[in-house]
Amino acid sequence: MEDRSIQIQLGIGAIAASVFLIAVAIPFWVSSPSNVPNVILSPLFWPNVLAALTGLIGAGLIVTSIARPRPEKPDASDVDDRPAAFTRLAIMAVIMIASVLVMPRLGLVGTAMLTFAATAFLVKTKHPRSALVCAVVIPLVLYVFFAHIAGVAVPQGDFVRLP
Amino acid sequence: MKFVKAAFIGAMALGVTATAAFAEYPERPINMVIPYGAGGATDISARTIAEPLGSAVGKPLVMSNITGAGGATGSVAVQNAKADGYTMLFARVGSHSVNPAMKATLPYTLDDFRFVTVYEINPVACAVTPASGIKSMDELIAKVKDGGVAYSSSGVGSLLHLAGAMVLKEFGIEKPLEAATHIPQKGGGAAATAVLNGTATFLCTNSSALASFVANGQLVPLMVTTPKPVEGFDAPTAADLGKPALEQLVGWTGIAGPANLPDDVAEKWGAWMAAATADEGFRSKMEARGSVIELMNPKDANEFIRGQYTIFRALVDELGMRIEG
Amino acid sequence: MSFIDSLLAGLQLVSNVEAFLALALGVAIGVIGGAIPGMSATMAVALTLPFTFSMTPITGILLLLGVYKGGIFGGSIPAILIKTPGTPASSATVLDGYPMAEKGQAGKALGMALWASCTADLISNLALIFFAGFLASFALSFGPPEFFTLILFSLTIIAGVSGDSLLRGGLSAMLGLLLATIGLDLVYGTNRFTFENPNMMGGLNFIAVLIGLFAIPEILSMVWNPASQDGVARSLGRNKVTFQEYRRSFKSIVRGSFIGVFLGSIPGIGAAPSAFLSYSEARRKSPNKENFGNGEIEGVAASEAGNNGVAGATLIPLLALGVPGDVITAIIMGAFMIHGLQPGPMMFVLNVDIIYGLFIGLIVSSIFLFFLGSVAIRGFKYVADIPRGVLFPAVLILCIYGVFAVNNNIFDVGVMFAMGGVGFVMMRYKVPAAPFLIAFILGPLLEDNFRQSMLMSGSSGWVLFRGPITWFFWTLTAITVFAIVRAGIRATRHQATGTSQP
Repeated sequence: MEDRSIQIQLGIGAIAASVFLIAVAIPFWVSSPSNVPNVILSPLFWPNVLAALTGLIGAGLIVTSIARPRPEKPDASDVDDRPAAFTRLAIMAVIMIASVLVMPRLGLVGTAMLTFAATAFLVKTKHPRSALVCAVVIPLVLYVFFAHIAGVAVPQGDFVRLP
Repeated sequence: MKFVKAAFIGAMALGVTATAAFAEYPERPINMVIPYGAGGATDISARTIAEPLGSAVGKPLVMSNITGAGGATGSVAVQNAKADGYTMLFARVGSHSVNPAMKATLPYTLDDFRFVTVYEINPVACAVTPASGIKSMDELIAKVKDGGVAYSSSGVGSLLHLAGAMVLKEFGIEKPLEAATHIPQKGGGAAATAVLNGTATFLCTNSSALASFVANGQLVPLMVTTPKPVEGFDAPTAADLGKPALEQLVGWTGIAGPANLPDDVAEKWGAWMAAATADEGFRSKMEARGSVIELMNPKDANEFIRGQYTIFRALVDELGMRIEG
Repeated sequence: MSFIDSLLAGLQLVSNVEAFLALALGVAIGVIGGAIPGMSATMAVALTLPFTFSMTPITGILLLLGVYKGGIFGGSIPAILIKTPGTPASSATVLDGYPMAEKGQAGKALGMALWASCTADLISNLALIFFAGFLASFALSFGPPEFFTLILFSLTIIAGVSGDSLLRGGLSAMLGLLLATIGLDLVYGTNRFTFENPNMMGGLNFIAVLIGLFAIPEILSMVWNPASQDGVARSLGRNKVTFQEYRRSFKSIVRGSFIGVFLGSIPGIGAAPSAFLSYSEARRKSPNKENFGNGEIEGVAASEAGNNGVAGATLIPLLALGVPGDVITAIIMGAFMIHGLQPGPMMFVLNVDIIYGLFIGLIVSSIFLFFLGSVAIRGFKYVADIPRGVLFPAVLILCIYGVFAVNNNIFDVGVMFAMGGVGFVMMRYKVPAAPFLIAFILGPLLEDNFRQSMLMSGSSGWVLFRGPITWFFWTLTAITVFAIVRAGIRATRHQATGTSQP
């Protein structure tokens, strides 16, 4: 992406966020005390100020991007195959959400092992064997450290109970 | 957010097998949740009792600080945990009498917990700086009537917040919320600092939080709420000043489980606490910090906490201090 | 008792093997604890606290102080090697430390971090010993209005860490400020963006946000482009910092140390803003400004000096006033109380031997830090050589464990992942992360102190101009904002001329 389109997209995003906050999010999800007769310094005040400033910055981004017509050289480090990259990203998102969801049932250690292996293979690691070994060993070592040295109540899961 | 909540609830069950045999309770380490941060009054109290308590229980106690929202985050973690006695809570005056009395928005009520004990009572003291020139409660009240007095607290819905209003009310200020300004701070340390640097005029808090300032001559105590005078505090008791109703205004620490904690578990805790509080080292450490060790069995603890809650709730309703969303 | 007598009494107290052993052990625990992301110096100190109960007061407190000092330095190790600040204080170190590691200069960056840390530590300790009384009385003159102006001034740091676009930096800061409003309102206790979820009521956990913002986007960008793992085989970190480089950065180190001492002696600010302020000042004064953010060794030096400069100075309000400046000193204060010591002015009269014993111990701790730090660097710097296909999943796991352990809450792991997504989008859109973080730390302080000031004065704005300290910071803020605006206009003009003559 070139610099100019980034600026414009960010600007539009910021203005949209600002409008959304002022019109929907703040009135609905920030509550003001209903039983205090004269509220000085309402809890809504600061979020509204921030939302307005966000909108201003968004406008500024758009204005400066128009004043800057020079297209810059495209980012060389970017990937060639964008759909595949987005697919990988989506899979990673699923891995992350799944790990939070299964952690209570599977325990932190089991979840960590699966997450490690899944992530390593998602990025097509060059060292699959050592990645597998690490996927088993590292979560166990961390468990011993956090549970027995640091005294943290590491979630254990329903199936295996580690000492 | 639903899935996260579900995840969280499950997590706090901490891998409980479906067939937990209570006859052998406890067969593994018990997770003790401290709903306040490390180094605070609750944390120090909990970690002090953990030592003798651990040997009474016979299994390790794993201490977990789950902080946030004035003790609510940690309390909710235990409220939603499996009632098998493997997840217990260090309940405190702030999280379990003042918060329920003041906050309509609180995600739990007293009915969501079963108290197995209260083991510690903390006197409350009110203090001002020497620079303010105030030397007695009467002088403070006179000054409040003149106007411009503020008091600090560790946050909205904290013991300090309620205590300031309650003390003024008892001393005859009709509308304490209008007569004195409440300036909330973030945490007990900041509340004391606010009085030291003149942001607020006075504060009422646990005597242990004020002990070092009083010993150093940085703060002047005006009153303590216990029937007996507090060592190191050269100040009259509430009863001396003719306000025995303020004796209800004390801090405490206890242990609670989720609401449907089985009776035999609660009984075991009663026995363990009796053994733990008899420990000489524990008593001397706690008393050195100004706590009064007073062990209550599950039934007394429940009555005590509900009694305090009722008094606080009545005051909150009368003054219109309840926090509604 | 004269100064010499006190010094001798203190020396007598610490001149035993146990005290020094405790100190060395503490520094070692701290360096390791700080180096584990999510563990953080705070947690390392909290975990060590119970072990000090059975020790003599001086040994126990020296152990904790050792952990504290070691932890603040240790945090820079993962910040440089894996872009994950081990403690919040080392977030500024990421800005230049990680680019250096990517260029194969991990050893150099770590070495500079150590040198800068030890120098700043020493300066901070000396400031504590000589100016404790003066700085403490100064700290007490900071009420909410003074804090408000100080924090307003600190927010100008954002301009210094915004990179090439001030507006994008501003956007990042706004995002941070908005996310920081989640939780309970300070004055009325009502909910803000909590969605009825008790986990949101306490606000988003700072460490979860921090790690999510810095470490997770790195992992996501490798998922985005796995080929990046074999392209740049990072060369071995076998390079050292030279004396030449140390001398070049010396000015920034000293400046950072004094910024640290100043901010450390005021309760409630903490080490992270100090590191950022020091960094942005070093950048402003440096002749090679452009290189900041791309692996400038002086940037590493400045940030590490800024955060370690706080370490000794936070003991000033603790010892002189009995007021803890941050969470770590609050825990250390707990240790004092457990041993029946009451920090405050009277301690300088009643327990002067302990005070001087601590002073001696602190000076020695800087030396221990240097040697143990060198050992740790030697051990850790090979992390840079681990193939990324294995390293990054391991970092992910480490982050999960660490973030869970901070508050024993799985919800925080979710927060970390969500922030990772936000951080990745920000990275793709070239929005810098540092302003977000500064705003996230300072935003609530700004709002709270503003509202406390208004409560104090009954909603009169004049309280914000009530004394010389507020005037000073208003002036400083005005000058800085003026300079930023002028520089911004110049840059725009420069760009415009550049456009007309391609």
